[in-house]
Amino acid sequence: MTIQECYDIIGGDYEDVFERLCKEERIKKYMFKFLNDPSFEMLCTSLNEENLEGAFCAAHTLKGICQNLGFGNLYESSDRLAEKLRTRKKQNVTEFMRQVEEDYGMTVSVIKQFQAQNTI
Amino acid sequence: MRNKILIVDDSELNRETLAEILEDDFSVMEAENGIEALALLDKHQKELGAVLLDLVMPDMDGFAVLEAMKEKGYMGKIPVLIISGEKSLKTEKKCFKAGVSDFIRKPFDNKLVSNRVKNIYNLFEYQNTLEEKVTKQTEALQKQYKLLQIQADRLNKVNDNILNILGTIVEYRNLENADHIRRVKEFTRILALEFMKIHPEYKLTEKKIEMIVAASALHDIGKIAIPDSILLKPAKLTAEEYECIKSHTTKGSDMLNNIKGIWDEEYRNTAYDICRHHHERYDGSGYPDGLVGEDIPISAQLVSVAEVYDALISEKVYKGAHTPDEAFHMIMTGECGVFSPRILEILRTVKDQFEACIRS
Repeated sequence: MTIQECYDIIGGDYEDVFERLCKEERIKKYMFKFLNDPSFEMLCTSLNEENLEGAFCAAHTLKGICQNLGFGNLYESSDRLAEKLRTRKKQNVTEFMRQVEEDYGMTVSVIKQFQAQNTI
Repeated sequence: MRNKILIVDDSELNRETLAEILEDDFSVMEAENGIEALALLDKHQKELGAVLLDLVMPDMDGFAVLEAMKEKGYMGKIPVLIISGEKSLKTEKKCFKAGVSDFIRKPFDNKLVSNRVKNIYNLFEYQNTLEEKVTKQTEALQKQYKLLQIQADRLNKVNDNILNILGTIVEYRNLENADHIRRVKEFTRILALEFMKIHPEYKLTEKKIEMIVAASALHDIGKIAIPDSILLKPAKLTAEEYECIKSHTTKGSDMLNNIKGIWDEEYRNTAYDICRHHHERYDGSGYPDGLVGEDIPISAQLVSVAEVYDALISEKVYKGAHTPDEAFHMIMTGECGVFSPRILEILRTVKDQFEACIRS
């Protein structure tokens, strides 16, 4: 799998990302680092604990990272969730969260596959 | 040199992305929330060239950081660039209102971030250097100003000394006794200070008044050139003798005019005006030049009233002393010639001060 294909699957525009971040090696490095980023985990924990302040903050951070790295699908869903949480109300959050979980799962799994191929 | 950049973002990945863009040109410091950021700002305020600030952070968010920076006086000295995923214009406007220099939206372009940070860094660096230079130059100017003030004070003392020396000559010649000179000075000061309050259009100042008061001691200096036989004659003067007496105004002013180069022009002119014109009268009936109304210098107008008042209350070879009340009425009714109606009005208000002065 090429990095271009990887981006196609996770809903990103690789050309745009390359234009902004300039080097493929750099983009790869950030993609792999994203696997260890704690924002998603913090989002889950905060929601479980009904800490809406923490959840908003984590969703916002996750959104920012995805936006910059060009992870389109996860950016879209985390952005919608962050906007939902901005009012700090729990209503309908589960629905939005489900989408984030789905996109996160997909994004991470694609990056892991790509990583496995690249480290061999 | 402010060569440090502070990146404030709760996401390590975001901080790393930004640090990588800037670390070739700057020494990068990182903080993961507002509290850490403020601690670093306090510690490195003199070395920080810019702050890159995220808005949404746990514990202390970007807006709270901006507020604290404003309170501590850092805004305006250290530029702040917001890096945020916030989409609303309202948020962007709020940031600029809080004093940020730029608002960079995610997703950002590495080269553009680098360019924008460098531009703003250079602008502030230039501004801060200029400010430092201005501060240093202001200090230097203040020192020079102090020196000038000291020199001006010295010069004023020299001017005062010259007036005092000349005043002493008048006293030694025993033309006027020391009390007369002291009282004329005091009456002149009382009149002038009140006049300054009521008539600001004459642009009198306390400094100018002190000059007039000091110079008033010389109003009769020309009398040293008048023979004692005429000056001290107890009998009625002939017309010729009276003309001679009158010439003390021109003789005195000529003398002062010839003392050049050692005192300030303003002092000399003031003394000259008083000496020459203290016998002028408001209706033009005085001497030596027959000046009318406001053509008579205000210094001379003030001294003439003071001088006449004191002459009236003093015993002379040719007359007895009047009471202060009589003196006041004689001046007000024009028995001693016409004076400025403005000064007469002032005399009315300071009558008590004059009388207190005589008693002391």
